[in-house]
Amino acid sequence: MKEMSMFFQRIEHMGWYPVFLREMLLFRRKLLKLGYLFSAMVVPIIYLIAFGFGLGKSVQLKGVGYLSFLIPGLVAMSSMNNSYTWVSSALNLNRLYFKTFQVLVQSPIPAFSIMIGEVMAGMVKGLFASSLIILVGFAVSPDFTIHPLFLSALLLNCFMFASLGVITGMLTKSHEDTATYSNFFIMPMAFFSGTFFPVDRTPPLIKAIIFMMPLTHTNILIRKLSLDHQALISLGMMTAYAVLFFIYGLRLIRKYNE
Amino acid sequence: MVNDEYMIELRDVTKHYGKIRAVDNLSLSVRRGEVFGLLGPNGAGKTTTIKLLTTLSRPDTGTCRIAGMDVHQNPLEIRKIIGVVPQENNLDRELTARENLLIYGMLHHVRNRNEKISETLKMVGLWDRQNTVVSGFSGGMQRRLLIARALLPAPSVLFLDEPSIGLDPQIRRQMWDVVRKTGIDGRTVIITTHYIEEAEALCDRVCILAKGRLIALDTPDQLKRSVGDHIVEYVDAEGKLIQHICKSREDAHDIARQENNSVTVRKSNLEDVFIKLTGGRIE
Repeated sequence: MKEMSMFFQRIEHMGWYPVFLREMLLFRRKLLKLGYLFSAMVVPIIYLIAFGFGLGKSVQLKGVGYLSFLIPGLVAMSSMNNSYTWVSSALNLNRLYFKTFQVLVQSPIPAFSIMIGEVMAGMVKGLFASSLIILVGFAVSPDFTIHPLFLSALLLNCFMFASLGVITGMLTKSHEDTATYSNFFIMPMAFFSGTFFPVDRTPPLIKAIIFMMPLTHTNILIRKLSLDHQALISLGMMTAYAVLFFIYGLRLIRKYNE
Repeated sequence: MVNDEYMIELRDVTKHYGKIRAVDNLSLSVRRGEVFGLLGPNGAGKTTTIKLLTTLSRPDTGTCRIAGMDVHQNPLEIRKIIGVVPQENNLDRELTARENLLIYGMLHHVRNRNEKISETLKMVGLWDRQNTVVSGFSGGMQRRLLIARALLPAPSVLFLDEPSIGLDPQIRRQMWDVVRKTGIDGRTVIITTHYIEEAEALCDRVCILAKGRLIALDTPDQLKRSVGDHIVEYVDAEGKLIQHICKSREDAHDIARQENNSVTVRKSNLEDVFIKLTGGRIE
């Protein structure tokens, strides 16, 4: 008992924990409102029905059924959307309108702790939404399985896009700007980076652009069963993006100045 | 060099927002344990000064020191000893009063947190509403919770930025009682306000600001004395308000006797000081 209490005290003294806990308490309240569950699930389910059950019935990709191809892509897309959007819009609103971000930067915890707390909270939200799609995947596709590379890709994807969410949340000058970033970067990435179709047959120039998109590498890694050459490249690219986004987000918090 | 007499020192501080000079070469010192007021109209630079001292903003030039430490060289150390009640309500409205204090207490490493949260909630009269979500609170209750949150880590310096803005007179006086108690506890308190009454009721010394510049700094009594103790006011035949500032009550009554119009003789206040020094009004 004493060890447990000391363990929790130690966690508390790590500055990231209250930042994370605050987000979780707010998230818990949102979960109790059914609108959240509906909004987290509705887009991937629409895609699943439209592409999976509509188009997918007559399509075979690399010898596997289209649903088996689509569901990991929807998991990647959903984890990206939720990790990114929750962090970017919450930070933007908290910084510009509710001013609750100022409570964090005026407290005696380092910028690194704020960054870790926000990113971890974003990851939890991304993982929660993905887990709903995974459950649907198990229900509708008998071939759908989860393996270590799937989980690694999912975790890294949440980390990467939650960190990107911090960058957008810190840079945007109004809440409308957040939607602009989403429409110009996140939405095209959801469609063109291998969520719905394999990208290897696209023209070379487009292929090169697609290769630079972070979600492309999540889509490659999440469908791999073994760590082959291509998987290693994607893992490297994802790690590089994750580190880059994290460091830049951290720098923006550290340099915060009104 | 650490000056033991002063808790806060600003030296030649200037801050621009674009082309606007929000704080203009400001230098002032606040003594340990005093309740210090920054008084001025909107745009005088009061909130910017608070932001500079509470590590939210960096000055373009000049230095800010609290307890002998440079605010912008040691922000984490400064944040350990200050509490801030901002002008805008920045409580988490979707969390309960207790949850708000819990998160804040954890961020500030408050020991014996549960007991201290309970004590603080009792002090501001919110103990029985501790599990209510803040969005269900009135403006006055939210303001009291903001003060409770700032006091939870027992800061040495408390900053209150327009603490009674938007509060009705009765709640405003309740809030003043909390501030007075905070001052009695030996803390240094900095208050920004554009309410004359508030500055006179609470502050040991008042700094009058206009357009980012220091106009005058002294005790409220001394500031009033510097312009004259009494004011004779009347409306002339053209409907214009005429004011005579008098050094003594006797002088005021002499002038009043000479006037044919209906006159009012009253004690001077900080608004009169502001008008005399700047030509404008505060409120």
